Amino acid sequence: MGVLSNVPFPRQSPQTLADDGDSLRFCSTCAFSQACMDEGMDKGALMDLHVLVEHIGPFHAGDHLFREGEPFEAIAAVRAGTVKTYVVDRDGHEHVLGFHLPGEVIGLNAIDGETYPCNAVALDTVMLCRFSFPKIAVLATRLPGLQRQLFRLLSRDIGRAALLAGDWSADQRMAAFLVGLSRRLAARGFSATRFQLTMARTDIANYLRLAPETVSRVLRRFQEEGRLVVDRRELELLDTAALEALAAPVLRA
Amino acid sequence: MESQAIAFNAELLRRYDRPGPRYTSYPTAPQFHAGFGARELRAVASASNGDPIPRRLSLYVHVPFCASPCFYCGCNRIITRDTARGEAYLARLYREIALTAPLFDRDREVIQLHFGGGTPNFLSPAQLREVVDTLRSHFHFSDADERDLSIELDPRFVSPADIAELAAAGFNRASFGVQDFDPEVQVAVNRIQSVEETRAVVDACRGNGFRSVNIDLIYGLPKQTREGFARTLDIVTGMRPDRVAVYGYAHLPELFKPQKQIVGADLPDAETRLALLQLAIERLTAAGYCYIGMDHFALPDDELALAQARGGLHRNFMGYTTHADSDLVGLGVSAISHVGDSFSQNPRDLPSWQAALDEGRLPVFRGMRLDEDDQLRADLIQQLMCQGEIPMAALERRYGIDFAAYFADALAKLQPLAEDGLVRIEADRITVTSRGRMLLRNIAMCFDRYLDQPVTDARPRFSRAI
Repeated sequence: MGVLSNVPFPRQSPQTLADDGDSLRFCSTCAFSQACMDEGMDKGALMDLHVLVEHIGPFHAGDHLFREGEPFEAIAAVRAGTVKTYVVDRDGHEHVLGFHLPGEVIGLNAIDGETYPCNAVALDTVMLCRFSFPKIAVLATRLPGLQRQLFRLLSRDIGRAALLAGDWSADQRMAAFLVGLSRRLAARGFSATRFQLTMARTDIANYLRLAPETVSRVLRRFQEEGRLVVDRRELELLDTAALEALAAPVLRA
Repeated sequence: MESQAIAFNAELLRRYDRPGPRYTSYPTAPQFHAGFGARELRAVASASNGDPIPRRLSLYVHVPFCASPCFYCGCNRIITRDTARGEAYLARLYREIALTAPLFDRDREVIQLHFGGGTPNFLSPAQLREVVDTLRSHFHFSDADERDLSIELDPRFVSPADIAELAAAGFNRASFGVQDFDPEVQVAVNRIQSVEETRAVVDACRGNGFRSVNIDLIYGLPKQTREGFARTLDIVTGMRPDRVAVYGYAHLPELFKPQKQIVGADLPDAETRLALLQLAIERLTAAGYCYIGMDHFALPDDELALAQARGGLHRNFMGYTTHADSDLVGLGVSAISHVGDSFSQNPRDLPSWQAALDEGRLPVFRGMRLDEDDQLRADLIQQLMCQGEIPMAALERRYGIDFAAYFADALAKLQPLAEDGLVRIEADRITVTSRGRMLLRNIAMCFDRYLDQPVTDARPRFSRAI
């Protein structure tokens, strides 16, 4: 983490794959490994506490990881791929809640209830790391660092959802979306400037509350202005500074 | 490419004259398989709509009918003079358009529409206009100046008045088959057409505001002589078409039945073939045409030549084009589509195509999805055919590969070609030299993963390089 990488998401670098964890070591993308390690807990220690961490997958594009209303018992962290979470309203319209990248956790909004309040679907080939929420919650009471990490993830999840509630222009929304993706991917060891948009245009549009044609129009203009290049799903940010400036009011940083 | 120059070296061409694909696609059509059908086409079309900026569309309409058989033809066509067959064909074509158009989001603009054949002008100008109007009502046609509406025309069956009607229907590019004006050759290939009728329709295109006119010639035809072909070249350059294509006749009578009517003894020998090609290059170059690549020449102010100069030239089933990165939708019997990372093809025989449409099915009978290796090689061959270079450093970056390691086998195959001076291997790119420009497909063949696979079909599948 923190090392500048040239590997465009979702391609895995050989190091990442080699560092994919086993019965004793955490995966490099694990959302909790740092918090646990800081507490002096390695994977063996967690196992001694019967906190089972289970690798599941691969899931393929279109596979559901969970559906709204199913009983909630586990939180999952994305190890590879992209997961979309969404709800369907009474009129049958889909509302995209978010896109979850490697190292990010899905199912946090289920903590409040007994069932999942949304659907989660794989957008490409997805691998997950699943762990029991009750057990990690108990563990968190003993490990302050882990508790902090859990709260951090929760507040990040809430914050991200609130971002798009403001009265922002299409350009600002799109820039914030791209800059946000870039930062999140860079934090997980992927290239900050080259990545694939694994979600469909309609999903981006739905998430940003724009028309699909507007998504394309804004991107085409960004491209003409030399801020980025789009080739099918591949995206390269050329003028990150300009996009950051546009996104600043939305991201507040 | 290192320059617009093209070096003619008979010894070299003789040595490299062997069968090979023309690379209007990579992988080539023999790799298509029955596992790719209508369901798969729907899936790739839907995925292509999901691109953040979905590609614009190029449409191709195949008209399979010809009123008269040319003996050299290797195309998929049906000989008939029964115009009712055109009507029946259009009824199915409209069904296919209605089934296909909804696969693509409405905001995806059509930037190119091309009619090929067969003989598209087997249909009347009124029928052709009806096809264009039907397509316009189902697809969103771009209003941009660069939108091309092009058609292949047989000068024997089209009049200057027809050209005016086609212009009114929106056509702005035409391609005329000439092959050779030499009367003896015309008899030998069963295609008699006068200089006057050809000139009249070329002039009519100009008069009606067509943006460009292409003339097709063929060398290697029966009874062809240097003197006769030289006269043809002078007449053609005198007509000043914007583009000229000079194809080598491929005599494969086992594969293309009409060619059985050509007397083998009438064919020019290998030396004459080369001399005819040399003649074409010399005369066209002297008349101011630039060599674009493969069989194509264009005037320096033509869009193809301009696009090549700025690195914006592309190649698809319709040949060279200035339209980058569009998804290609083929309509009609035997038509090929290229949507997203897939190729797909309609049945090559009329009854199967009709049956599918009569049952309300998308008439796809085979195709393939390109994996990452296919996409990389397709990109490489495209750059080679269009820009005359392989940008190794750029490809390494784009595909995350170590070029030398990934293409070790290909580079070993390329070595003798480099020693013959066809390509120059530099630090970050491989450049085609003026000696290599005529042998682009031999260079591309080094990078074709499928050529190493055993051929199960004993018949020759590809024409020769020269």
